[in-house]
Amino acid sequence: MQEAIKVKGLAKSYGKLLALENINLSVKGGTALGLLGANGAGKSTAVECILGTKRADRGRVSILGMDPHRDRKRLFERVGVQFQEGRCQEGITVGELCALTASLYQKPADPADLLAQFGLGGRQKSPVKELSGGQRQRLFVVLALLPNPEVVFLDELTTGLDTEARRGVWAALSERKKKGLTIFLTSHFMDEVEALCDQICILKRGRTVFCGTAADAVAGSPCDTLEDAYLWYTSEGRDSRESV
Amino acid sequence: MKAFKSMLRTELKLSLRGMDMFLFAICAPLVTLVILGITCGNQPASTGAEHTFLEQSFGALASISICAGGVMGLPLVVSDYRGRGILKRYRVTPVSPSLILAVQVAVYTLYALLSLLSLYLAAAGLFGYRFRGSPLRFLCGYLLVMGSMFSIGMMVGGLAPNTKMAGVIASALYFPMLLFSGATLPYEGMPSALQKVADILPLTQGIKLLKAASLNAPAGSALVPMAIMLAIAAICICVSLQFFRWE
Repeated sequence: MQEAIKVKGLAKSYGKLLALENINLSVKGGTALGLLGANGAGKSTAVECILGTKRADRGRVSILGMDPHRDRKRLFERVGVQFQEGRCQEGITVGELCALTASLYQKPADPADLLAQFGLGGRQKSPVKELSGGQRQRLFVVLALLPNPEVVFLDELTTGLDTEARRGVWAALSERKKKGLTIFLTSHFMDEVEALCDQICILKRGRTVFCGTAADAVAGSPCDTLEDAYLWYTSEGRDSRESV
Repeated sequence: MKAFKSMLRTELKLSLRGMDMFLFAICAPLVTLVILGITCGNQPASTGAEHTFLEQSFGALASISICAGGVMGLPLVVSDYRGRGILKRYRVTPVSPSLILAVQVAVYTLYALLSLLSLYLAAAGLFGYRFRGSPLRFLCGYLLVMGSMFSIGMMVGGLAPNTKMAGVIASALYFPMLLFSGATLPYEGMPSALQKVADILPLTQGIKLLKAASLNAPAGSALVPMAIMLAIAAICICVSLQFFRWE
């Protein structure tokens, strides 16, 4: 299958602080990649450099064969994005925000269907600021899926959701993945990554310390679970052990 | 076009829900008109003048709404959307910066036109105001003033580093223009030294233009203000599109 997202040699620093160093990723169409890492490891910076909302210092990115800077308008007709901080206009309602977002695309999905699927069916008239944290989070996942995207970027998609809602979001995404949606997500939850992702990539202080399947991650570590393996890959002591 | 219409509809609703522009751009000019009309509306503008005070002031009153929308409303909404991360979200959609700015300009254009209409109806209905000039010439002048004031607003909104700074710059432009350009206090009554200072303000030039058009004064005196307004609009629009920042 064709590569939907390809990242080569991506690097970014903020002044002297190194945020990303030589990141290489490749996501095949219709599969899901999970980017893992502690807070400040560079996940959001990676997502933003890939999307072009931040300028990388070095490296090449191609999404669906397009350059996010040069082909911005054409690319984002086919790519949906949910940022970590979902922001919107003061006083806007759920229905208005969905209609407004849908109007930006040529062939959008029906907002009412998506809202119903994500448990927000009755909230069209509610101001967005009156939603609970979890409802808000789901709303921004809905917005990311509105363009009927071929690729979707989800930055910490289920943070703040209860167990049932998380399962619902996973099911909705898995179903779309089967139909060919490519998913790029960041997460702090190992169960989420195991449920959704074909591939994981673990970042530690801006560097990739593991890339492969979740099973390989466990097998390559002395641990039995992905969570333990993740902690092992990102542990502070590991650098010094390696360098000894 | 679908995106423009949908955005315009939503932004209008949000703006009306906010109420502040309704007060500043629609109510404030009307209140000023009524006060002027009651106190000295039908007196001659100056001793021996052919036109009344209200006739002389109509163009100035009509510019209050443009000033409020252009240098207060526009820069604040653009910088607020940037500060809130709304523009960042738009950046990962197919929408273009010029469409986002055009929608906001359309919102404030509607406020200005509504203000013009309500001012005319109030002046004619309450104080027997008659428009002496050419409506077409007045409307062209009105659009020109709008163009230059709105482009200043777009530039401020585009270049201000944050919402707070945009607020400071907007106030620094809005209040002097509102007071000294002749929009509220009559230009003719100012000492000539103050008039010279006021002449620097683009709105002063715009009001001269509107005044000449509404009083049917010769067009020759309007050439300089017209050139200034056009230059400001051209420069500010170029700068605001060239330096548009999503974040």
